Amino acid sequence: MKRSLKSLPTDEVEINVSPLIDMVFILLIFFIVATSFINESGITSKYKDTAYNSLSEQPPLSFQLPASGQLMQNGLVIGLEEIAPIVRNAKGKSKSLVLIQVSPGSKAGLATQAMDQAILGGAEAVKLSPIAR
Amino acid sequence: MRLYGRSRAYEDSEGGAINVSPLIDVVFILLIFFIVSATFVSLPGIEVMRPKTQTAKSLEKNSILFAISQENQIFHAGEEILLKEIPRFIELASKDRKKPVVIQPDEWADAALLAKVILQARSKAPSVSIATRKPK
Repeated sequence: MKRSLKSLPTDEVEINVSPLIDMVFILLIFFIVATSFINESGITSKYKDTAYNSLSEQPPLSFQLPASGQLMQNGLVIGLEEIAPIVRNAKGKSKSLVLIQVSPGSKAGLATQAMDQAILGGAEAVKLSPIAR
Repeated sequence: MRLYGRSRAYEDSEGGAINVSPLIDVVFILLIFFIVSATFVSLPGIEVMRPKTQTAKSLEKNSILFAISQENQIFHAGEEILLKEIPRFIELASKDRKKPVVIQPDEWADAALLAKVILQARSKAPSVSIATRKPK
């Protein structure tokens, strides 16, 4: 059937593929432009608000970031590398919930690195909480 | 006109026409690849110096991005926004299914602002992450 049609040039039915190619190219260019290949890496802090509110529970391990750019725990200045051992040693006691209290003026880089160190020390949940002044 | 075009097409098939089928195949494969990989994430619009961390993990690609600049401005989708607008933008960006939020803070941004942004984002998003870079 097809062959007999093709043998006659006057009856030949050809699908014109040019509009199809045009459409596919337009779609292709649209998707190339719209695709953004972002591959973000980072840290995620998991915590539940309810675990922190109850006063009966043991208070979480807390670190303070004053505006001076230091890192403190219970009024003592500590180094960034000391967080991981502190968290690791306290793990059995306080369910590895770490609270980092940040004052206005302290830097996000230091706060993030403190969170990173706490996660490195085995903390399951790290919370950043702003101190109002 | 129509007759002319047809007759020329017929003549071309006789002598050295370009076969477009492989071209279409390749273009279709590219098209499908880009459709599948398209995530349509709107970037915050500024480039920040991310803090260096050791425990950084790869984050969800299809997430809502916010950036905090060195001057403590919050950016989302190329515009500067206010702190209290964050829940509204998260609702706007995640229409039917909940998307995680990724915050890109500058190393020298205010940590208290970062904490406030996380608190705001957490009210609407299932998870909030901080974008960092791995130390080389």
